Amino acid sequence: MTDRTIHVDYLARVEGEGALKVRIHGDTVEDVQLKIFEPPRFFEAFLRGRSYLEAPDITARICGICPVAYQMSSCHALERALGMTVQGELRALRRLLYCGEWIESHALHIYLLHAPDFLGYPDAIRLAKDHPEAVKKGLELKKAGNTLMQVLGGREIHPINVRVGGFYRVPTVDELSTMRPLLERALVLAEETTRFAAGLDFPEIEEDYEFVALRHENEYPMNEGEVVSNRGVRVPMSQFEDVFEEVQVPHSNALQSVHKGAGSYLVGPLARYALNHDRLLTRARSVAHEVGLPEVVRNPYRSIVVRAVEMVHACEEALKIIDAYRPPAAPFVEPPSSFHATSGAAISEAPRGMLYHRYRLNEEGLIEEAKIVAPTSQNQKRIEDDLRHLVERSLRLDEATLTDACERAIRNHDPCISCATHFLRLDLERA
Amino acid sequence: MYRGATARPTEPGTPLVIGVGNDHRGDDRSGLDVVRALAHRVGGQAQVVECPGDVTDLLELWSDREAVIVVDGVRSGRPPGTVVRFEIGPNGLPTLGPTSTHGLSLSEAVGLGRTLGRFPRRLVVYGIEVEDVGMRDGLTPRVALGVAEAASRIAEELLDGLELTPPA
Repeated sequence: MTDRTIHVDYLARVEGEGALKVRIHGDTVEDVQLKIFEPPRFFEAFLRGRSYLEAPDITARICGICPVAYQMSSCHALERALGMTVQGELRALRRLLYCGEWIESHALHIYLLHAPDFLGYPDAIRLAKDHPEAVKKGLELKKAGNTLMQVLGGREIHPINVRVGGFYRVPTVDELSTMRPLLERALVLAEETTRFAAGLDFPEIEEDYEFVALRHENEYPMNEGEVVSNRGVRVPMSQFEDVFEEVQVPHSNALQSVHKGAGSYLVGPLARYALNHDRLLTRARSVAHEVGLPEVVRNPYRSIVVRAVEMVHACEEALKIIDAYRPPAAPFVEPPSSFHATSGAAISEAPRGMLYHRYRLNEEGLIEEAKIVAPTSQNQKRIEDDLRHLVERSLRLDEATLTDACERAIRNHDPCISCATHFLRLDLERA
Repeated sequence: MYRGATARPTEPGTPLVIGVGNDHRGDDRSGLDVVRALAHRVGGQAQVVECPGDVTDLLELWSDREAVIVVDGVRSGRPPGTVVRFEIGPNGLPTLGPTSTHGLSLSEAVGLGRTLGRFPRRLVVYGIEVEDVGMRDGLTPRVALGVAEAASRIAEELLDGLELTPPA
């Protein structure tokens, strides 16, 4: 009987840094630990004592990759706490901003982080040498998302344009109209990306996921909806903590989320699509059908195709919002002039999955308690389950090949470890 | 996403200084602090921009530029606050060890930019050795000194007129 351990000290091509340790005893995988060293609770402590108005700006900077998700979840949670409702064009503009982030983030992951795995390259640079046009396409899509975020999110250093109640300044009709050609082009590129992604070779693997995502009555979910799962969960987002809990695990400072009494679950594109494919807009649905994407995708490697379909949807949605846009009378809904102790929670769909924020405010509008559950924390235990199954299937592989396979399995879920940590380092132990 | 103290520069001949970092990750903000300090000092000598997110944005920012300075926090084992300056020669970045907390690293952005022909004529990098990149607002004292030093050296380099032709 031999024991072995596989250590990966630095996981390439994930946002941020993390580490993985797998311990194998003979033919048994004894332990899989995805380590995340910096927990969200550090951010939570950082917010304590700050004005509620600061939260969207501060949380936006927690992660440079998905700032809009943090802005949106914090704004919604605080607006609920303060009894504010943001509707009409302001709501549409928020959705438009979110489209920009989905396009940017998905384009980055598909072309620069995930595609090299399928095409046999160690990184995007080597991929770009042989397939410059593919990488340029990814960068062009990313730029379209970026531009949308700059028009709405603001170019100036301070303030960031998003605020509780809406925006500091809303765009003119012309400012949005000028975006149209860029987005029309992005829509075509996103469709081409879906065909490209669907043509890649995928390992024939299916996982038995509990998918968890928002579901809205008539929209593909971004900012609103109930929390639903394919195993019967259906609760308002305010009851998230009644159903899901964070548990401390010894190997990681970060808290791991579990479905109480059920275990790991998956958030992100696979979950959103499985639970909301009937809410996709026409061209997204059409291209999904064209490439033969089933209504539920349980193969984690195929997440690259689902991301591409979501990118098509985001481009379509952005065009739809721009075409219907009429500037609102005021750029934001006025917050109440006096405060009482209150609290509120909200979830929005970051590109990587549900992002939960809850705040408790005192009578002065200062944050007394903040709780943030990032999508990567929610997926961490499920990623460990994927890895355990992978290693069990792959025990005969040599160390280097198995390590590569583990890293690839992690990248399927586009973990943003920078939301939850800095330096992540894989230990694969064979005993 | 990037934010600029000025809009996306329209004159390719004006030097561009890009600060990379995250405001709330301690010393990781050093690159941003340097360009903020420079915004008030270099006036018409250069344009400055902050890149707080994914560094692939650099490809868009520096494409077609004549001269670009990138300022970023680095980890190389040198004492905290140490400022290193180097130019990107034909063989890429000098070895500094793991440098980035921003998803793709600066060296990957350089590699991609070169491969795709999206690269400035001249690229100078100022790196400031970081000490603490945890969740905190301010710089550690030694890194704050490094930020001041980097800002002064860059301002001087800009005021002297950044040569467009790299030294042989």
